[in-house]
Amino acid sequence: MLSGQGRSTAKAGRRSSVWGLRFLTLGLVVGLWFLLVELEVWSPLILPRPSSVWDAFVQSVTTDGKRRGLAGYFLWEHLQASLWRVLNGVFWAIILGIAVGFLLGSSWRIRTMLEPLVSFLRSLPPLAYFTILIFWFGIQDTSKIWLLFLAAFPPITLATMNGIERVRTDRVDAARSLGGSRLQLIRHVVLPSALPDIFTGIRVATGFALTTIVAAETVNGLPGIGGLAWFTKKDTRIDVAILCVIVIGLTAILLDQLIQLCERAFVPWKGHA
Amino acid sequence: MRSNNRTRLLAAVTVVAALALAACGSDDDASSATDAPTATGADAGADAAATATDPAGTEVATTDAAPADTTADSTSDSGAPVEAPDTIQIAYQQVPNGDLIVKNQGWLEEAFGPDVNIEWNLFASGGDVNEAVIAGAVDLGLVGSSPASRGLSTGIEYTVPWIFDVIGAAESLVATPDITTIADLEGKTVATPFASTAHFSLLAALDDAGVDASTVNIIDAAPDDIYAAWTRGDIDAAYVWNPNLAKLIAEGGNVLITSADLAAKGKTTYDLAIVSNAFAAEYPDAVNVWAAQQDRAVQLINDDPDAAAEAVALELAITPEEAAAQLGDLLFLTAAEQVGPDYLGGGLATNLFAAAQFNKDQGTIDTVQDESVYVAGVDDSYAASVGQ
Repeated sequence: MLSGQGRSTAKAGRRSSVWGLRFLTLGLVVGLWFLLVELEVWSPLILPRPSSVWDAFVQSVTTDGKRRGLAGYFLWEHLQASLWRVLNGVFWAIILGIAVGFLLGSSWRIRTMLEPLVSFLRSLPPLAYFTILIFWFGIQDTSKIWLLFLAAFPPITLATMNGIERVRTDRVDAARSLGGSRLQLIRHVVLPSALPDIFTGIRVATGFALTTIVAAETVNGLPGIGGLAWFTKKDTRIDVAILCVIVIGLTAILLDQLIQLCERAFVPWKGHA
Repeated sequence: MRSNNRTRLLAAVTVVAALALAACGSDDDASSATDAPTATGADAGADAAATATDPAGTEVATTDAAPADTTADSTSDSGAPVEAPDTIQIAYQQVPNGDLIVKNQGWLEEAFGPDVNIEWNLFASGGDVNEAVIAGAVDLGLVGSSPASRGLSTGIEYTVPWIFDVIGAAESLVATPDITTIADLEGKTVATPFASTAHFSLLAALDDAGVDASTVNIIDAAPDDIYAAWTRGDIDAAYVWNPNLAKLIAEGGNVLITSADLAAKGKTTYDLAIVSNAFAAEYPDAVNVWAAQQDRAVQLINDDPDAAAEAVALELAITPEEAAAQLGDLLFLTAAEQVGPDYLGGGLATNLFAAAQFNKDQGTIDTVQDESVYVAGVDDSYAASVGQ
């Protein structure tokens, strides 16, 4: 058995090799990209040089005459607009998702009535009903936030429902035997037990909302990172398209790490109970 | 024991699914499969015959017998077979011009015969066509002059062999009744599909009126979404084309300026044909035959506008009256008219170069090539071959 100090150094060693491996993989991918461009396997219209993507990045943060950033906005303006919409949509999805998920998890009647609707919503591709949302809510942020909300709502709801159902009955019984009221049970036993599942649902929902951002920003999507990606279709700028992909991917990883940090702060008992 | 059977079952299901996916995938691939084209070629021939006997088709077929062009085409066809590939991939758009007439009447299928499969692929915009050309999926297509200028500036390997039409009142700037001049647009919200001829015309109109484009909130939306936004009162003006242009005018919008007005001021926009350089190099006679059919369509629009309107109406799913009105908002040029120095003979190349420079000044495109690239990007030899 490793001593306490021995275990932490082993863990630190593994952590450094984890990052080492990650940087190595990234280096290999970029190296392969350089190689393919040097060998001219495909025309620069199909696989741009890494330097073109870098130039596109530089353009996105600078002005040149009448050109302001890319498509009239700087990269941070695009990101800010998109993240504002995503966070709005996910915020409402969390509030309503946990509420509805709780109802589904506690009453079999409500579950029988509502679960099919939630599953139906989950399986719809966002672009399919986006036109309806535009007609109802217009082409400004409202329709986009609605779309992101509808994309993020089902995963959180279903995860909450599962989390509530999986609360161990012996815990609930123990609290009840100690004289807990229904509200106290919910606040001190049921919800905390379901939190790990809820956080998993939030992670999935946020990831899904980020992939939906391009669909959400096909109409009046500028400023917006998804709108910029969509704009490259009209502008035939594949270097900008790759830049958008990289930025969206990095943003998704960052957001996910942030949620995991929150999880570790709010749910320290995950995996130990 | 039981888990062994389950594993075998899972493996069997996976193999069957993979085989089914592979089989379904190869059916769609028209360009590579050697067996498919002959079968689909026969289908295309049957389709052409079917469209020719449409109610509008029969009427047109009889009138077509009159012009001299058709007889010239069929003799060149039956005389020496035109060298053409198994499949010709055509990118078309929902624009009321000769291309839709050629499609509706099946003239290409007729001219090339049953051995050649004419594949008509619908695209929503010139930007999408540019994308598809880069991917090698388009031989001949329709792009607006703005996407064409962008394409040549970006180095897409295609050439302009034909002008489908010069855009007149078909694209216009429409505003809510309280806005009466372009100068009033300062600080207002104007919607237009970005990177289109309408976008270019909007910037040209603002520039001409002395309005700084950065003071106007220009937003990007597709024509249908622009109509939705208009009805909700989300936008103050829009530069867009039919059918949504007609809808906005019907809702009380007033026209501030049209593309015809801008053409008079030197900012002309066109709907252009493009042919990929690879296709043109390998099958120049095929492009000549294609151009001949396009000229035939323009002759029909000039000589029998009712028949032309009917064919266009069928393709766009609108009434012949609406089609006739929309045709009236575009200017069509016969091959003889296009070959002159005003158009394919030099004027168009100058226009594309000027458009690229204007876009660069506005900050909407990145690079402008040397003028020679745009001159090389327009080829009048195909239009010149028509009628010879």
